[in-house]
Amino acid sequence: MVRGNAGRLFTVLLGTAALIIVSTQVSRPRVRAATEPVTFSKQIAPIFYGHCSSCHHPGGAGPFSLLTYADARRWGSVIENVTQSRFMPPWLPAPGYGDFADDRRLPDEDLRLIKEWVKEGMPEGDIADAPNPPVYTSDWVLGPPDLILKVTSPTVIPASGTDRFINFILPVPITRTRYIRAMEIKPGAPRVVHHCNVIIDRTASMRREHPKDWQKGIPGMEFTFDSGDSFDPDSHFLFWKPDTPALVEPKGMPWRLDPGNDLVLNTHFKPTGKPETVQATVGLYFSDKPPVAHPMLLQLEHDAALDIPAGDSHFVITDQLTLPVAVDVLGVYPHAHYLGKRLEGWAILPNGEKKWLILIPDWDIDRQSVYRYQSPIFLPKGSVLHMRYLYDNSSNNIRNPNSPPIRVRAGNRSVDEMGHLWLMVLPRPLPNSTEDPRLLLERAWMQNRLRKNPADQTALYNLASVDMAEKDYAAAQALYRRILTSAPDDTRSLTALGSALDRAGDWQQADDEYQKALAVDTTYADARFDLAKLDYEHNNYPQAEEDYRRLIAENPRDAAAHNGLGAVLMATNQTTEAQHEFEAAIALNPDSFDALYNLATIEAGNKNLSHAAELLQHALSEKDDADAHQLLGNIYAQSGRFADALQQFKDIQNLRPKDPIPRREIGQLYELMGQSADAIRELNGALALDPQNADDWNNLGVIEARAGDTAAARKDFEHALALDPNHSAARANLARL
Amino acid sequence: MSLQFGEILLPGISGILSTRSAMRRSFFAVLILAGIFAAVFVSWASGSQLSYGYNLNGQPVTSLATPGTEAVVLFFAATDCPICNRYIPEIQGLEAKYGPQHVVIWYVYPNVGTTSATVRQHEADYGAEKNVLLDPHHRLVDLTHAIITPEAAILVPESSGAEPFRVVYAGRIDNRYIHLGEQRPRPTQFDLERAIVDVLQHHTVQHADGPPVGCGIIGQ
Repeated sequence: MVRGNAGRLFTVLLGTAALIIVSTQVSRPRVRAATEPVTFSKQIAPIFYGHCSSCHHPGGAGPFSLLTYADARRWGSVIENVTQSRFMPPWLPAPGYGDFADDRRLPDEDLRLIKEWVKEGMPEGDIADAPNPPVYTSDWVLGPPDLILKVTSPTVIPASGTDRFINFILPVPITRTRYIRAMEIKPGAPRVVHHCNVIIDRTASMRREHPKDWQKGIPGMEFTFDSGDSFDPDSHFLFWKPDTPALVEPKGMPWRLDPGNDLVLNTHFKPTGKPETVQATVGLYFSDKPPVAHPMLLQLEHDAALDIPAGDSHFVITDQLTLPVAVDVLGVYPHAHYLGKRLEGWAILPNGEKKWLILIPDWDIDRQSVYRYQSPIFLPKGSVLHMRYLYDNSSNNIRNPNSPPIRVRAGNRSVDEMGHLWLMVLPRPLPNSTEDPRLLLERAWMQNRLRKNPADQTALYNLASVDMAEKDYAAAQALYRRILTSAPDDTRSLTALGSALDRAGDWQQADDEYQKALAVDTTYADARFDLAKLDYEHNNYPQAEEDYRRLIAENPRDAAAHNGLGAVLMATNQTTEAQHEFEAAIALNPDSFDALYNLATIEAGNKNLSHAAELLQHALSEKDDADAHQLLGNIYAQSGRFADALQQFKDIQNLRPKDPIPRREIGQLYELMGQSADAIRELNGALALDPQNADDWNNLGVIEARAGDTAAARKDFEHALALDPNHSAARANLARL
Repeated sequence: MSLQFGEILLPGISGILSTRSAMRRSFFAVLILAGIFAAVFVSWASGSQLSYGYNLNGQPVTSLATPGTEAVVLFFAATDCPICNRYIPEIQGLEAKYGPQHVVIWYVYPNVGTTSATVRQHEADYGAEKNVLLDPHHRLVDLTHAIITPEAAILVPESSGAEPFRVVYAGRIDNRYIHLGEQRPRPTQFDLERAIVDVLQHHTVQHADGPPVGCGIIGQ
């Protein structure tokens, strides 16, 4: 029931994007006779249907439709203009600097055809030659979703003004962990929504920080989210833009949603000239299988160096990060605001080879995107990731939001600047180790942040989380203390320090830190929870009960607090009341391992063995836990299901290969099943691990005697008595031989 | 045939009207700037039967101003042009600000094929417009040499409160758009408003230093 506080802060990158055109590939004839005119029907319609109409259709995000000849003729000269300048289709990466999936750049030949078509007066040609226009509907592209979420209240985007960035919070009403294989977003008013970055707020932290106004949306380009109790690097790019209504994850890589998580839609709006009412709907498609591959987001940045003098047209920041493990890079998301001009990302491999990850020669925040690679880019351990961003803060940069230019630093307003290069990587398993390679990546990332800014609180905190995950509590304590030196009232760090102290065995000092956190904020639930848990573990049940009850009063849906209170009540022999609390915890979180296990112990005590077994089976589907196997094995054994019990004890043996107890129990089970040879083998195995156990020697003697090996039995009883001269059973058994 | 600034334009002369072919014009044709419009006179006599265009009921509009009008602003618009639509709140703001100072703003829809029904639907989406005029024969387009929607012109009555007019400004609303695909987060120069103020203060009208950007006006 531990709810530690060694959480991980996660800076989420948000921004902007714009776009009007698309790219579903439509095969089209490219060959024509030299004298044959370019016509809409033969050459142009296939280009528009393949690259443009997924946004440019009635009801689509594009400002006009391009499904008919009349549409095409109306906009022909505009299209010529914006395609020749490569404003459309929106695609920022330079060709040859990364092989991206869904590359929307039009081939030069298409540009030439469009130009020629307009020049020739935009002839229609024989409409019979044209492919059928694509059909678009307002239905869900992937069919009915498993779960539909809707932004709580509609928002009106004003008719004019600068772009808006609003974060809409969507609580996710699930009662058990779900894995999302695809997500589809209907923005409500497609033409006003430029893009949307979807963030999983693991702890509903944004909603908590804005208790009164979260339902109407929180303005801002970028936020830091509290990612929760433990090292949890599971992260995906969830970047939606109008031409890709459905985000489908690669096979084996669904993303996780837990009960209590919120989705935050960081949305970029561009006013259209009339007030637009938006109320996004999100469709989630579940996977019935958890992920088999766990990607992680990595970030290069150097915001601390962003201090751009007014008028400076050539300001550069760089960053580099050495990979401690081999990775496959799946995608890249470069991000700057309005002053960014040239964005470069590359890797230098250990053999000196340079691999480009991306080059954007003319950055435009309005057309930003996540770019996924056609095939993953393998980078061996020791490769060095690089970014180099160039900024133009002169008045010649027409995107400069400040006129006249002013000194600009890093920040999350549109008039501030940023320089981030996010990578989605899939770390390769470590050779000869079961350690999670993401811990090494996280450590390298955070150490790199501290190299650039030793006072980086997020980096200090996340680094401490890695230490906690690796059970280096002393190192974690030192990092938390560093944070507290400059932020002595940081309740989160006070609580985390308490948790590190507790895990290191210094529970009295841990108690002090929790008390300090509560002195700063009496409603800080994590500190109170950990304090209650500490009191429970050290038998201070009245205080633990008081704190758990207070937590429940402040948040009746706190499943962990219900479970904790149940544990206290059980310890004080209030079994019926305890049972109610465990049931309440399970009602709130049906997959709560602790509550399932605890309720199972009560049910087992009440002789409701089948219900207890059901609860334990569910618990074990959530976590492979030796205690749960033990209890379930005992229940099976009591129910006469020896083979099932045997399997449970074998599972324990796998989890605790050096523990004699499961071998002892397996031996006893074999004996009950009449398999004496197996029983003798297992008891000998237990005795090899724990040779001083007189009971085992006695039991081994009993089995051998029953098997007819009186001599061996005698030796065993004597061995037991040598270890424990008062062992009455061994003495009696010896007498009976 | 292409028109030259400085010509005296007479509405109804078919040779002028038939030259309109905006679909083939460059979007970035830089308008000839400061100083030239002072020489452009419009010789429509008050009470002429000739019209500037048609209102949404299909009736000819024969007068753009009432006595006392200081300036007539023409806003060339297209119902389906996204850039044009983004400027509607700006024009509405100018109307609210300068209407009380006897500035009259007309929404002029010049595209061939635009109908009263199209404009009414557009009004339902973007707000009702007080003075609306369809210009299918491009009389005002030719008068002001507009080539783009959105684009604006300012006409000043020659004698107080009556026609004919002098064209004292023609060009963009502001400098937000540099060209299609490149725009400032917010404009830094409000050309049309500055010109209106110049007129009201009887100063020499300053002209924009960049072209209008948007969708070409559709001719026959």
